[in-house]
Amino acid sequence: MANRRVLVKRRKAARNIRKITRTMQLISTARFQAAFSAAVAGRPYTDKLAELVGNLARAAKGLKHPLLQRPPEERRSALVVLTSSRGLCGGYNTNVLRLAVEHCDTKADSGADVELDVVGKKGIAYLKYLRREVAEEITTISDRPRFEEVEPLANTMMQRFVAGELDSVWIVYMKFISAGKQRPVVERLLPLSPEETLGIKGEPRGSQVQYEFSPAPEELLEELLPATVRVRLYQAFMDAAVSEHLARMVAMKAATDAAEEMIRRLTLQYNRARQTQITMELLDIVGGANALT
Amino acid sequence: MSNSNDGRVSQVIGSILDARFPEDHLPPIYNALKIDVEREVLGESRTETLWCEVAQHLGGGRIRAVALDSTDGVQRGARIHDTGKPITVPVGEATLGRVFNLVGEPIDDRGPVTVDDYKSIHREPPELPDLLAKTELFETGIKVMDLLCPLVRGGKAGLFGGAGVGKTVIIQELIARLARFHSGYSCFAGVGERTREGNDLWLEMQDAKIGDTGKSVIDQTVMVFGQMNEPPGARLRVALSALTMAEHFRDQTGVDTLLFIDNIFRFSQAGSEVSALLGRMPSAVGYQPTLGTEMGELQERITSTRHGAVTSIQAIYVPADDYTDPAPATAFTHLDSTVNLERSISEKGIYPAVDPLASSSRIVAPEYLGERHYRVARQVQQSLQRYKDLQDIIAILGVDELSEEDKVVVRRARKIERFLSQAFFVAEQFTGMPGVYVSRDDTIRSFEELCEGKWDHLPDQAFMYVGTIEDAAKRAEELAKE
Repeated sequence: MANRRVLVKRRKAARNIRKITRTMQLISTARFQAAFSAAVAGRPYTDKLAELVGNLARAAKGLKHPLLQRPPEERRSALVVLTSSRGLCGGYNTNVLRLAVEHCDTKADSGADVELDVVGKKGIAYLKYLRREVAEEITTISDRPRFEEVEPLANTMMQRFVAGELDSVWIVYMKFISAGKQRPVVERLLPLSPEETLGIKGEPRGSQVQYEFSPAPEELLEELLPATVRVRLYQAFMDAAVSEHLARMVAMKAATDAAEEMIRRLTLQYNRARQTQITMELLDIVGGANALT
Repeated sequence: MSNSNDGRVSQVIGSILDARFPEDHLPPIYNALKIDVEREVLGESRTETLWCEVAQHLGGGRIRAVALDSTDGVQRGARIHDTGKPITVPVGEATLGRVFNLVGEPIDDRGPVTVDDYKSIHREPPELPDLLAKTELFETGIKVMDLLCPLVRGGKAGLFGGAGVGKTVIIQELIARLARFHSGYSCFAGVGERTREGNDLWLEMQDAKIGDTGKSVIDQTVMVFGQMNEPPGARLRVALSALTMAEHFRDQTGVDTLLFIDNIFRFSQAGSEVSALLGRMPSAVGYQPTLGTEMGELQERITSTRHGAVTSIQAIYVPADDYTDPAPATAFTHLDSTVNLERSISEKGIYPAVDPLASSSRIVAPEYLGERHYRVARQVQQSLQRYKDLQDIIAILGVDELSEEDKVVVRRARKIERFLSQAFFVAEQFTGMPGVYVSRDDTIRSFEELCEGKWDHLPDQAFMYVGTIEDAAKRAEELAKE
């Protein structure tokens, strides 16, 4: 029966897919753990830096710095979209991109010109499919981002912001909250706002110690503010990478399970079809033999 | 009543009986034989006539005949009378509005039928030069059929489907739709299906009115029943009886005639039972070796000629959903349009459960349907085919892994799939939804716009059981309000 051959073929395909998805699951599990510890290892540094900058900012009241300067109007805005270069990670890219497009549209509605800088092949392909203009395509940064790779992007953004080419820089990525929770978020990278980004929300945390700074806070900030931007961008990349591996791990686990279920179902169907055929043939043989005697 | 045309029953096995006739008065094959049988009916003794048909000559004056009714009460040695002619059925306008059994006796308790003419149920198919090949579309107002497997006026259509996917409902719906707006006559043959369904149909046809003439559909219809309770001989011949009546309308009155047969498979099945009883060697899957011949003899007679057109719609049961089974497979080749009903679709709650990829029609070609209809039909099928191909991938990896183009295809295919559903007139009391008639132009336009992506924003649910695409938009608004 033709039906049987089709079943065999489908089962074979499902088995092959299962083989791939299971391997992918194992690989992403390993990568997730590596990325996770890297991201966690960076956290104390980031936190401390934020605290330090916060203290400095408080010390230097009425601080003026180009990176903190809010342009009166937001006319030209950049959006850095962090997506993966590889697929098979479930809804990871879809969720980030949906938010990115939403953000673009709200900005466009308020009269701003949004330039898209997209990291990752998947995001580039999707946005091109939507016929949106992609200003910069970045595919050199892998899913194990290194600081040296991210730094030039941060530097360009700061330069262009300071030069007045851009009025704001935003970043959209999948924030890693916990192993069970990741959320796509849009965050503002530039201009830095002391309230939101420098860790001084309302009352300062920890001890209210009045530090004395040397050299002067302004000079220190000159050095530390760009570093903050770089670190923040790097942290976003790290989060995105962790989320990506985790998303892939989960997606591949689900796929492997689904493939198993399908194989089970197809095997059942195949066995049934096979038994039917055997029974039919037996009936034909017995019937024929009986008719002859 | 003893004369040289009489013989004696020599053996009875189920619905097959042997009889001995004088060597010089052997009844020819297909001749009708009569036996008077004494039977107890409700405590009363009654004499009933049992009709038989000669099937084989065994030599030595013996013949083997197929009983067309139960052989209860027949005894060896009983007198059997050769009527000298095959089974005949009354034909003509007097038969309209009546219900018959296969030997042409009215079974609706409305008194005898008087007609001028009786015709043999065994006839030759029309001659080759008399045949008429029309290619005109026969609009049904059912979207999926008009779009993908349109009926041909004067052609043959088959409704294939396993048990309980809705063959009979579609046949009844087509009767309701076509017979109601049909100016000619209709014939209905109930072959080996449920007696209850036949009764329902009969009552329904009395209620249904043709257009606004005030006439009942039944007044333009002849019904012939040989249902499940009848022995195989009856089920094997009942289609021929109905066909003979339809042929008369075609040849004598020249009006367009509709012939509905539910269910052709029972005809093959009865043939196989008879064949086994006659002692023929079974062929593939236990069917009779003459399966193809029997089907051909029946189907070749259902055809349009220069005198008039017979449009036939036949339900064909597919045993165990296996289309390679010899019985449905032999019926396949004779049809102009095949409508395949698919279980997986009915399981999704989409009715009519027509398989849009397996169903087809001879006239699905640009020269018959026009460029636009053809293009839209193919687009719809392409989209659904792609969706079907992707289904395994979606099942394993999820929709997110598809490329953007494929995602659009899948989204649209899901809408198309649902949009192919439609509310039926005859199912109104079950579904609570009034039946809808969608003209062919509306159907084409709706699907064209759907394929173009004009309605991508509507939720899938809005496409279930609506008429035109505008109705879907309206439904979407209602859904949004809820």
